[in-house]
Amino acid sequence: MNFSNIFLKIIENKKTPYLVLIPFSIFLISPIILMLFTSFKGYEEIFRYPPTIFPQNPTLEAYIRVINSEAILGLRNSSIIAIGTTFFVLLAAVFSAYGLSRFKFKGRDKILIFFLTTRIVPPISLLVPYYLLMNSLGLINTYTGMIILYTYLSYPIIVWFLKAFFDEFPQDLIDSALIDGCSRTGALFRVILPLSATAIAAAAIITFLWTWNEFLYAIVFTNSYDTHPITVAIFLFVGDYVIEWNSMSAVGIFASLPTIFFFIFAQKYIIEGLTKGALKF
Amino acid sequence: MKISDSTYGFLLTLPGLLFLIILIAFPLVTLISLSFCRYDFINPVEFVGLENFKWVIEDRVFWLALVNTVIYSTGVTIFTFLISLLLAITTARISKLSTLFRTLIILPWAVPLVVSGLVWRWMLDPGGGIYNYIIFQLGFVKEPLNIFADPNLAMIGVILADTWSRIPFMFISILASIKSITPELYEAARIDGANMINSFRHITLPLAKKGILVGILITSMFSFRTIDVIWSMTRGGPAKATYVLGLELYDYIVRSLNLGYAAALGLIMLFLISTFSSILVYYILKR
Repeated sequence: MNFSNIFLKIIENKKTPYLVLIPFSIFLISPIILMLFTSFKGYEEIFRYPPTIFPQNPTLEAYIRVINSEAILGLRNSSIIAIGTTFFVLLAAVFSAYGLSRFKFKGRDKILIFFLTTRIVPPISLLVPYYLLMNSLGLINTYTGMIILYTYLSYPIIVWFLKAFFDEFPQDLIDSALIDGCSRTGALFRVILPLSATAIAAAAIITFLWTWNEFLYAIVFTNSYDTHPITVAIFLFVGDYVIEWNSMSAVGIFASLPTIFFFIFAQKYIIEGLTKGALKF
Repeated sequence: MKISDSTYGFLLTLPGLLFLIILIAFPLVTLISLSFCRYDFINPVEFVGLENFKWVIEDRVFWLALVNTVIYSTGVTIFTFLISLLLAITTARISKLSTLFRTLIILPWAVPLVVSGLVWRWMLDPGGGIYNYIIFQLGFVKEPLNIFADPNLAMIGVILADTWSRIPFMFISILASIKSITPELYEAARIDGANMINSFRHITLPLAKKGILVGILITSMFSFRTIDVIWSMTRGGPAKATYVLGLELYDYIVRSLNLGYAAALGLIMLFLISTFSSILVYYILKR
């Protein structure tokens, strides 16, 4: 038996995948676990050497400090901005995707390509014009300004993604609704939307998460704790010389919670949605 | 009067289209015209031709940042691709516990990139970082690594943190295309005497190509323009070792308050990214 045969035997063994997956999963999950543990440590313990993994004296000190600080406003701001953005993106994207998917008109393909190319432009390139635009409209440091910018970031992709779903929708169902006297807009609301609930939910979650996790526009276009989203507010605990690792971790946990929640309860839809959207073009 | 189907479809699309045009065409025009102007909040705004581009390109920092950006995004893309491919192949092979492993692998996505940079900075910290301490205890190094003081190590550190955050997307993209391959193909290959390496090379890789290319496209595009992780880990230091184009652009706006330079650099980045991604998109659509 030569060497390559042994190698083949090893990789063809049914248990080998687990030998790969277990260490990698531990590696991938460890930063989150350590962040969780750190958030329960006291101030004395985070600067101890050698470092501890488990909190020796678990305490809610860090959480209390975060809740009583301005950083907690970040949760409120992020929620308002992310929910607002999700609402407007879906409202606009449902109509656009329906129009682009179900009706033929001149320039339709060009519009679709245009939607996609807008997302090849790096958001960072547009910082300067957006800064001037937001400044002249008085929208710097406002929820409205952030929601407009984030709607721009998600909307084109969500249109593509919903269009992919609507494309597969059986035409017969729409036709029979139309014959029964339903208007075209009625068909959208009475037939298509109720039957595409999972796709809509996936689109909503994806938009929410992208907005929630964004940092670049957040740091340039908000400048006080009254409007800073959580991704910027976390820097309250990151000083030039001392970083309060436990409070930082507590904010990090707050910042990651909505996504973890969605991943556990709606993972199937998110994955289905993302792959459909991403692999369709 | 009933409007025709094509007009109706167009009307549905119109509001969103107008919104996008306002938010993309207007800024692009502004960006291009600004890049030819002196705009520094000191002197009156005036047309200066290609002066801004000349200044940006002749600055040594630009080339340093460009090289760093290329190293960074190439490193992130390669590591993300290799690990995601390995994880996707193995996850596709198992049936027991596959949902559990899939959930664990995509979980890093839950952590916003800036936060991921902070967490990795904490774990690699020479004072209290647990990873750094473990490496030290295992005897690989004589003293805890001072990652954020050594230029080469700092680059490895930021690549590591960014890779960690980007594995989930690439993993899902590749896994979905592997799962869409019909199992009969593997069965037929096995009957013909193909071993696992053969069927990986001749079935999995060619048929999962689209998912792989989409994953690579998105990961390389995003890591080329990102500042999140670097911002929270090193701010471009030490000695500009992790200074990337995105940070240079940010500094032109926030620190030097020179919007002319910033616009020129923004256009250069736009050009680099769109050239690269158009080539890749063309390659994906061709097959």
